[in-house]
Amino acid sequence: MKGLLPLFLGIFGTFAFSWTGLIFIPNLQIGHLDPQTEEDGTDAYPSPRSGMAERGRQIYAANGCNYCHTQQVRADYAGSDLDRKWGIRRSAPRDYIFDRPVLLGKMRMGPDLANVGHRVPVTDQNAPAPSATTSTTTGAPVAGASPAPAPAASASPTVSPAPAAQTASAPPASAQNPTPSPSPSAPNEVVTAINGVPIPYTEAWHHRHLYSPRSITEDSDMPAFRFLYEKRQIAGQVAADALNFDESSTDAPPSGWEIVPTYEAKCLVAYLMSLDQSHSLKEVKTAAAPASPPAPGKQVK
Amino acid sequence: METVTTTGSAASRLTQQPQGGTEQVTPGEIENVERALIDASTRVPVLMFYTSAIFWLLVGTLLAAFASFKLHSPDMFSGISVLTFGRVRAAHMGMMVYGWASMAGMGTAIWLMARLCRTTLRHPLVLVTGAAFWNLGVLLGVGGILAGQSTGYEWFEFPTYAGAVLFVAYLLVMSWAVLMFRFRRGDTIYITQWYLLAAFLWFPWLFAATHVMLFVVPVQGVMQAVVNWWFANNLMFLWLGAIGLGTAYYMIPKVIGRPVYSYNLAAIGFWTYALFASWTGMQRLIDGPFPAWMITASIAAAILSIIPVATVGLNHHMTMRGYFPLMRYSPTLRFTVFGAISYSAFSIVGIIISLRSMAQIVHFTQMSVAYSHLGLYAFFTMVMFGSMYYIVPRLVGREWRYATLIKLHFWSSAYGVGLMVLMLLVGGFVQGLSMNDASLSFTESTQSVLPYLRGRSVSGILLTVSHFIFAYHFVLMLFGLGRTASVPTFLNPIEPEDVHP
Repeated sequence: MKGLLPLFLGIFGTFAFSWTGLIFIPNLQIGHLDPQTEEDGTDAYPSPRSGMAERGRQIYAANGCNYCHTQQVRADYAGSDLDRKWGIRRSAPRDYIFDRPVLLGKMRMGPDLANVGHRVPVTDQNAPAPSATTSTTTGAPVAGASPAPAPAASASPTVSPAPAAQTASAPPASAQNPTPSPSPSAPNEVVTAINGVPIPYTEAWHHRHLYSPRSITEDSDMPAFRFLYEKRQIAGQVAADALNFDESSTDAPPSGWEIVPTYEAKCLVAYLMSLDQSHSLKEVKTAAAPASPPAPGKQVK
Repeated sequence: METVTTTGSAASRLTQQPQGGTEQVTPGEIENVERALIDASTRVPVLMFYTSAIFWLLVGTLLAAFASFKLHSPDMFSGISVLTFGRVRAAHMGMMVYGWASMAGMGTAIWLMARLCRTTLRHPLVLVTGAAFWNLGVLLGVGGILAGQSTGYEWFEFPTYAGAVLFVAYLLVMSWAVLMFRFRRGDTIYITQWYLLAAFLWFPWLFAATHVMLFVVPVQGVMQAVVNWWFANNLMFLWLGAIGLGTAYYMIPKVIGRPVYSYNLAAIGFWTYALFASWTGMQRLIDGPFPAWMITASIAAAILSIIPVATVGLNHHMTMRGYFPLMRYSPTLRFTVFGAISYSAFSIVGIIISLRSMAQIVHFTQMSVAYSHLGLYAFFTMVMFGSMYYIVPRLVGREWRYATLIKLHFWSSAYGVGLMVLMLLVGGFVQGLSMNDASLSFTESTQSVLPYLRGRSVSGILLTVSHFIFAYHFVLMLFGLGRTASVPTFLNPIEPEDVHP
């Protein structure tokens, strides 16, 4: 080959071609999406996350959670994501328009988390029913989208100020139900919970799981994130957000001590609880009922 | 005089021996002196790149071994934030890609450029400064990741300030390399120079474009993932891959002392490589929330990349035909041919795992780790080892001290990476099968891959041993403790009948 110019042009050309085809054109297609709304402008989805949840995303990224957890549900023709109830529909570009960094992930050494703020625990038969035994944690406000503000400081496990909109008498844990999805699906959650269906992952569950994954799922190979928790001497009363352990648990701190989540841990959990793609999207077929806004989450495979 | 005698190619001396040492006439001697001068001018910067690269290789290997153990023993050190799996893994990747692979690649590329442009290296201080800043960038980046400042984009985890330092360092190196190209002597541009020039130009465009699209004018939502994988893939192919292939195109003909089989084949291989390899990458996002056409285009490009693989492979094979026995003797040839063959394996695995029917099973499994290690280690790293075995003696004026150490290095690297890839390929497949069976609980899929991950840890030990052996040998060379023979260190004693095929 002779001559520098053809070589240079070719090198530049192939690069520009690749950029145009794989970046520029897709960006025209999916790079400028708006939230979906009803015709009257209500029921916007998705919406930006709260400050704590956004901070939680940074912590999620900083600790490399995305190396083992994906945040994308594949369609029914690929994999078993829907069968595993990791979502009620496949993920779409619009689900991520406020995400930065976007943390889709490419490895599943842990389950998919696209809907972890909405999902119910399915695989922990040997779990010590953490949401019932642990006390309520506080402090982490749920996603900004939540129409029903989480009870801010329901420290006692017996107190259950059910969100105002919900008339059914909720079991204690449903008070912590993040219900980050907009109102239409919220009543559903409460009803299914009453019918004995397990309630979604709670803040207490997440904290317990982050602190000691194998105390919840025996076979888990998730590293424990103990550095996000603080062990301290109990000053007077047990803190409202202290982790609650069974007496037999080897994770329990010595008496007189308690384990409390740091602010970072609370942010991380707020982020996890904000992950929810259960809202229907016009461009995606929801598995059972064709998209209508109050798509009943729980009945769908 | 010492350096002069060590500059000839191993094989030319090999082939000369049985003929009773044909007398070199004057033009040959002039050429030798010229080469020696060029080699001497690259000495300081290239050795600096190599030394840094090997340092990062050692630290990165230790981190990898740690991360590998952490996967099946997750409770190790769980109270220390710096040592959590996600940070160690990202730090390992950053060190290997930017610390080891890029620095080794730049070292080799600089030396090759000087040789092929037949020009001595002017102002080596610019390159030394570049290397120093590059090291600083890697250090800042890895420190940032371990301190919890990862950006969350794979292969681009370094915090933005570290990326900026890397970029400045890179501009120093590149501006110099392109300048050298400007002052080259001779009309023809050898194949290796196409690849190197392309790599030197692609990298800054790629790096800058990605930086702008992720941090300066960030693209929306899932487009970040598109940019991310476009970057990661092109960094593998257009930067490291191009350097690796260019190096192989130099080393194989040089060591065996024959010209490349076909220039036309090489040209076809180069341009189809540039065209198709740069379009792959989106298959890593297969079945995700993206336009299907985009992913299909990448799958098609991956399949079409069989053309460059076949042409490059054929070209090397035809060049080597009849000379394969030389792999018994020349460390460079052995490592380089291993790398060149791995490049084919890497591409073929890449095609297989991107087919939709296959991706359904192996997407989101350890298979992708196997794939990256095939490319980054079995192909690129082995080619770099080969080039170091060739170049370092020409820089320090000594020959490698122990043939045994080279053999140990080769076999533990080859078996190490072979075992790792095998474990992860099979493990990934098993993991995918059990993940897709919704009647099994999810943890069964991770449990099913754990035995393979333990096997991978064993391979990690092998690779660690191999790298420490190599580093020790390299340090001996650096301190002038190599052999002062005029004949390169061969892996085995020469048996003349092997030399004349």
